[in-house]
Amino acid sequence: MLHENWYFDPAKPDTVPAILHDILDKKGILCDDIRLVCKTDINRDLVRCDNYILATDEEIILLSGSSSAVENAGRNLLPGRRARTQFQELSWDVLPLQDIVECKMEEQLSSGRITAKMESGVYELVANLSNTYKDDAYQAVKFLNQLKKEKKITPAEESKTKQRADQFCPKCGNRYVDAERKICPKCLDRGKILSRIGVFLGKYKLSIAAVAATLILSSALGIIAPYVSSGFYYDEVLNDSGSFYGQLLLVLGIVIGTKLLNLVVGMINSIVSSTVAAKLVYDLKTVIFNSIERLSLSFFTNKQTGGLMTQVNRDASTIYWFFCDGLPYFLINIVQILIIVVIMLIMNPLLTLLSLVTVPLVFVLIKKLFSHMDALHSRRYNRSRRMNAILNDALSGIRVVKAFAKEKEEVSRFNRSSVAVADAERKSSRFSTVAFPGLNLLLYVSNIVILGVGGWMVIDGKLSYGTLMTFIAYMNMVYSPMFFFADMTYMAADSMNAMNRLIEIMDAKADVEERPDAIRLPHPEGRVEFRDVEFSYEKNRKIIDGVSFEIEPGRVIGIVGHTGAGKSTLANLLIRLYDTAAGGIYIDGINVRDIAFEDLRKNIAIVSQETYLFMGTILDNIKYANPDATEEEVLRASKAAGAHDFIIKLPDAYATQIGVGYKDLSGGERQRISIARAILRNPKILILDEATAAMDTQTERKIQTALEKLIVGRTTIMIAHRLSTLRDADKLIVIENGKMPEFGTHLELLKKKGIYHKLYKLQLEAMKNIGIEE
Amino acid sequence: MSDTKTSLDSVVSIVYITPENAVFEEKNHFLTLQLTTTKEDGTSETANYDRVFLHRSFPYDHPEAYISVQDGDKNEIGMIAEIGQFPDSTASLLRGELARKYYSPVITAIHSVKDRYGYAYLHVATDSGEMDITLRDASRSMARVDERRVIITDIDGNRYDIPDITKLDRKSFRRIELYL
Ligand SMILES: Nc1ncnc2c1ncn2[C@@H]1O[C@H](COP(=O)(O)OP(=O)(O)OP(=O)(O)O)[C@@H](O)[C@H]1O
Ligand SMILES: [Mg+2]
Repeated sequence: MLHENWYFDPAKPDTVPAILHDILDKKGILCDDIRLVCKTDINRDLVRCDNYILATDEEIILLSGSSSAVENAGRNLLPGRRARTQFQELSWDVLPLQDIVECKMEEQLSSGRITAKMESGVYELVANLSNTYKDDAYQAVKFLNQLKKEKKITPAEESKTKQRADQFCPKCGNRYVDAERKICPKCLDRGKILSRIGVFLGKYKLSIAAVAATLILSSALGIIAPYVSSGFYYDEVLNDSGSFYGQLLLVLGIVIGTKLLNLVVGMINSIVSSTVAAKLVYDLKTVIFNSIERLSLSFFTNKQTGGLMTQVNRDASTIYWFFCDGLPYFLINIVQILIIVVIMLIMNPLLTLLSLVTVPLVFVLIKKLFSHMDALHSRRYNRSRRMNAILNDALSGIRVVKAFAKEKEEVSRFNRSSVAVADAERKSSRFSTVAFPGLNLLLYVSNIVILGVGGWMVIDGKLSYGTLMTFIAYMNMVYSPMFFFADMTYMAADSMNAMNRLIEIMDAKADVEERPDAIRLPHPEGRVEFRDVEFSYEKNRKIIDGVSFEIEPGRVIGIVGHTGAGKSTLANLLIRLYDTAAGGIYIDGINVRDIAFEDLRKNIAIVSQETYLFMGTILDNIKYANPDATEEEVLRASKAAGAHDFIIKLPDAYATQIGVGYKDLSGGERQRISIARAILRNPKILILDEATAAMDTQTERKIQTALEKLIVGRTTIMIAHRLSTLRDADKLIVIENGKMPEFGTHLELLKKKGIYHKLYKLQLEAMKNIGIEE
Repeated sequence: MSDTKTSLDSVVSIVYITPENAVFEEKNHFLTLQLTTTKEDGTSETANYDRVFLHRSFPYDHPEAYISVQDGDKNEIGMIAEIGQFPDSTASLLRGELARKYYSPVITAIHSVKDRYGYAYLHVATDSGEMDITLRDASRSMARVDERRVIITDIDGNRYDIPDITKLDRKSFRRIELYL
């Protein structure tokens, strides 16, 4: 089902969009000569319209025009869904390919542009585009440059651009929010979500059958009760012509009996359904947490999952509510109402119609009220969330607040926010105090109508008194769940959102994944090799660009470079927090992608730049990487890391609690604990990323001497700004803007008189300035 | 106070680009710069940049002041203190360049908001026509940069500007008020 496939398929020139055929014809250009078609949405004068970049072997054609009055924007719609009007040409420009030096995609804030540098030295604007077309534009630029240099276009194997039409929801024509999942939230129906979650229910068939049975029983009892206590009571017991005249005890017995039975059934129902719901939520959480563990870092950075865990917890309880409370009650009421309406119709059709005529009106009114209530509520919720954030912010940053004497400002910031919350609260409660009595009045009016009309019927002898009473009781049974129904629609929407969020997490694909047939490497030699490694955190911005080097087992390599050059990124790639975009990283000649996670993590330890300590004791923190370590091993490791000396001075020594609200450690102390943690792991490969940067030189020296002994036999990667830290490195790598311009020993690099030489000289001068000569 | 000011001045210097030392020109939608700098020894030097880029330091508070002028590698050449310093013809060149760089549709009305499973679909009127916008998590996608201004960022990273929410019609405002 390829609609107008405007995008690249250089192999199939017939994919030039039909809408352009006429104009190409007119200009005398054969569709067969078109090598590339790329659509963008903003023209060169920043007007939204349809722009096409077309390329033949000789030239780039810049065509802009419109196919309908105002074309789409933002998320573009499926092309096929647009009426195929004539293409109105606005402009047609040609850039000869031979005059172009290079094309470039330039990103701006909310838009981008493709520019071309010409042989004459001037620049030409090729196209403007919104971010929606950014990826296409990058592709187009790549292909244009290829076409210029190699005279042909060779799309990459895995190029996804071909299935462009697949990226649109066939139902509404919107582009999928996630091209991988191909689910359109706009068209997603509740049934689908429910059935996804329903799969989890499958395990509990028996309990669910029990729930259903109790539901049916309790709705039946609910219907019998009013009949017995009003219609039957007046007509058959109190009435001297009734067949049970005078048997009060019997009736009371029946009434009490049904009530009791109903109570018991209700209890059974809630016990069973809450157990099932609790188990379901547990299952869900397990699956979710498992997938979270499986997911890679980039998922978390992408989704800004600050409160991911709280969100998951909240979502799970929303779902619990839905299955345990909302849904059963909803079903009971629906069944009950249906049966009641049938009974009422049999009893007296006219009165039934009369009494139910206001139901839709009441329902619509309630829904309107609730939607307004909902708006008020969520405003209150949002405002109090902001207030809490302000409070939290001020408290956790209390040192800064005090250091800059900003208490007053913080208090007034908080006050402003808290006034806003109070205001929202007042509005919402005022609304509910007015709205609900009003609604009750409406219900009361319909009661009166029935009393009037029914009373007249009774007097006329067309209706028995008991029937009228039953009728009124039933009518109130129809009306009373209306509030709940209206509320239910919002709660259901909420829990649908919750379920969808959970399903999204379950469906999310991890980009760092362990291969099913991963290679076990329990005892590697420790040879590390980077081969033409390329990497970017965000698309199209290369952080690592073609880095290759090799470390022999047991050797020490130092990485130097300016801040932000990409040094820590190299470490992250080696431990596979991220995967390389191109090239590969090898341990003992095996690509890290193929190595089992367990072996990879066990054999590599990293002391990272940002030391992270968990809440708990110092001992817990050191043993974190190796919970089975003995006390003696812990002591040795902390001695080696230079941590023992300060730990032993603490009143609780290794049992000292650290973390929020407990003992605060200095930056250097934290670093020493994380070094101890890494040492305790006894890894084959050790990465020290600025591991000693926060310590004084003396302590650093001390730790280094210990480390020197320790790193014997271990492949070690040391990242440091202080070059003196790296004096024991066998080889040095210089990283600059993601590239590796220099590689060699200290002496080799000095001779080269490049970046390293400059860094070294600068640091040496700094030493001389304070009177130290090395 | 004045002490810190003078000491900071002597430590860091900002290169200001002024009508006296700079000539901006526009060629083919692109901005060029000829900058004359005077060195310590009194001699002056002229550098020609065949493309320069403008970047606002305080995009909302001072859209026309503290404009960083950068070369193709995002290295700062200098700073424009205030666009108004320049003669009208140059100022309009600079404003044009900023308008291109910070191009984002201005929302004038919101016709509908549909919130579905954590995504919001907006149908809006903008200064460049009607548009459909998809947002992931509506409240997070709408950022209030000050009392009146709201910036909406869609799922592709496109930005839409509402310079003054109080100027929206009542219905439009009500439709998004919830998320603010
Ligand atoms: N998670 C991330 N997402 C996006 N960009 C990132 C991320 N982490 C780092 N970067 C960027 O990647 C570049 C390289 O970062 P990296 O941490 O590797 O630098 P570094 O050489 O270790 O610097 P430093 O010496 O300051 O530690 C920087 O420009 C940084 O902004
Ligand atoms: Mg780093």
